[in-house]
Amino acid sequence: MDKEIVLQVKNLKTHFTTSKGTAKAVDGVDFTLHKGETLGIVGESGCGKSITSLSLLRLIPTPPGKIVAGEILLNNKDIVKMKEEELRKVRGNQLSMIFQEPMTSLNPIIPVGEQIAETIRLHQRLPRKQAWQKAVDLLEMVGLPSPEKRAKQEPFQLSGGMRQRVMIAMALACTPEVLIADEPTTALDVTIQAQILELMKDLQKQIGMSIIFITHDLGVVSEVCDQVAVMYAGQVVEHRNAKDLFKTPLHPYTQGLLASLPNIHENQQELQTIEGSVPSPYDYPIGCRFADRCPHARDICRAEAPDLIETGNSDTKVRCFMHTEKWETSVKEEELVCP
Amino acid sequence: MFLFILKRLAQIIPVILGVTLVVFLIMQMVPGDPAAILAGEGASQETIEQYREDLGLNRPVVEQYLSYVGNVFQGDLGNSLKNKQPVLDEILLRLPITMELAFYSILITIVLGLAAGIISAVKPYSVRDVSVMVIALLGISLPSFWLGLLLMYLFSVKLQWLPVAGWDGPLNIILPALTLGVGGAAIVARMTRSSMLDVIGQDYIRTARAKGLKEHFVIYKHALRNALIPVITVVGLQFGSLLGGTVLVESVFAINGLGRMIVDAIRTRDLPMVQGGVLVASLVFVFVNLLVDVMYRAVNKRIDLN
Repeated sequence: MDKEIVLQVKNLKTHFTTSKGTAKAVDGVDFTLHKGETLGIVGESGCGKSITSLSLLRLIPTPPGKIVAGEILLNNKDIVKMKEEELRKVRGNQLSMIFQEPMTSLNPIIPVGEQIAETIRLHQRLPRKQAWQKAVDLLEMVGLPSPEKRAKQEPFQLSGGMRQRVMIAMALACTPEVLIADEPTTALDVTIQAQILELMKDLQKQIGMSIIFITHDLGVVSEVCDQVAVMYAGQVVEHRNAKDLFKTPLHPYTQGLLASLPNIHENQQELQTIEGSVPSPYDYPIGCRFADRCPHARDICRAEAPDLIETGNSDTKVRCFMHTEKWETSVKEEELVCP
Repeated sequence: MFLFILKRLAQIIPVILGVTLVVFLIMQMVPGDPAAILAGEGASQETIEQYREDLGLNRPVVEQYLSYVGNVFQGDLGNSLKNKQPVLDEILLRLPITMELAFYSILITIVLGLAAGIISAVKPYSVRDVSVMVIALLGISLPSFWLGLLLMYLFSVKLQWLPVAGWDGPLNIILPALTLGVGGAAIVARMTRSSMLDVIGQDYIRTARAKGLKEHFVIYKHALRNALIPVITVVGLQFGSLLGGTVLVESVFAINGLGRMIVDAIRTRDLPMVQGGVLVASLVFVFVNLLVDVMYRAVNKRIDLN
């Protein structure tokens, strides 16, 4: 496919140096985001998806965190190598972000309108009055009732859903090319969640931006994402078209994740789980990081680390020996060892 | 807001009662007979008795107190035992001097304290931070009378840049104001630092950075205003101890302010003078606290004053 690539992340590694050693929170993440598409980054807590999203804007507190390797190419310009000044022009302008906690992500003592308007003044150099008017318009666009009154209020006067709308308005203020949404609906209740998702989809159509949607909620992914990158232990293990992924998951971890979803059509007594636990980011195994929990694991999985490789077409990437030629040979080896 | 201020002003009445009662009781308990002191050493018993009667000190204590409080509410703070002049006149003469000193001291406390606190917090655990905090620790530990003497020795005696004592010109203000303000500045600096560090770790600071704001906008617009909320309280409290400090500093630098007036009055057991002085100082403190609460509300609208 010849879709325009907006953002490409190659071998991103963000490590944290602590007294316990080096935590490899993000350890070789690769993904590609096309124009106008939504890429979901999914994975369980601690798999490094939030650190990945913060790394994209270089918002990792240093020390202890540091991007130690990799490239983040936004329209072919590497964010990792940018100088502060250049980076600031990208932040909130071409690349903006919505955070998980609308309750704490807005400044508690600055009127919400001003918090939006200051971004507009900064990046678009509009005079105060016009920037304010634009902030009010944005609040209206995200569906906040009586936006003129609300703009003058401070966050504590708004509900959680309203605050997340404000966050979205703020992130969209400069019509970014890429919007990173880090679990934007996790802290909201279900009806508000649906509204916010709907809103994001609408705005994406209006503005034509690309979205990186970070979540642990596979239901949300199936609703909003075109592409999905599944993360496990600091790496992407499967990167595919969302429809295909839900139909025929390739990586055993993805298979496990999907199997653990409760099915509304069957009367299940017990929920399925993936046995075992995630390896510590301080001490990853040499081989495949999922091997210890994988029902298909063989010797080769523990001896060697698989790469994220294309299988079939360029849109499908998976990090598993099962989808390589090595798998066939490894079967034979195994049969030789234990007949 | 208006109702709040009115309520707080009404609280002045119990403050007056409390302060006068405590001072009155203390002055009754301390050794030394005002009449005997006024009459002078070696005065005959008759003379002392005469003084006592003239001053009304022979009346029952409760009666003395009640008549004093009654007069206070009519704006009469009584007359000095020593020179028979109205206490209020003397206070009105001295209060502006102390207020001027207090104003410059609190200015030093705020400016120096905030600056040091911010400098520290922006780069925590750096050499700069550690040295500022060590100096702040010294500032807290040095007693003001000693610091005053030290400054006086250095700037007035050795370097001869500034006058030793007195209250004749703007140069006279510098040393006493520094002496009084430095301790508070150290406390404000430490408070500002910890409050700033706390705020800088908050999610909304990350949001501000994600918007592409320049670092000084992040610090001064987004972080400092939030960090100031607890600092304002500390500054208000500091003003109280600063008023107490004027007693010492005015004595060290020979400034004829309210503090020194109170010290002199205590020495001569000039009861009305002591009471008047302490009362006025307390009222100033009450007003400053009211001001602090109003400012608090201005910075943080979440606070419901009522």
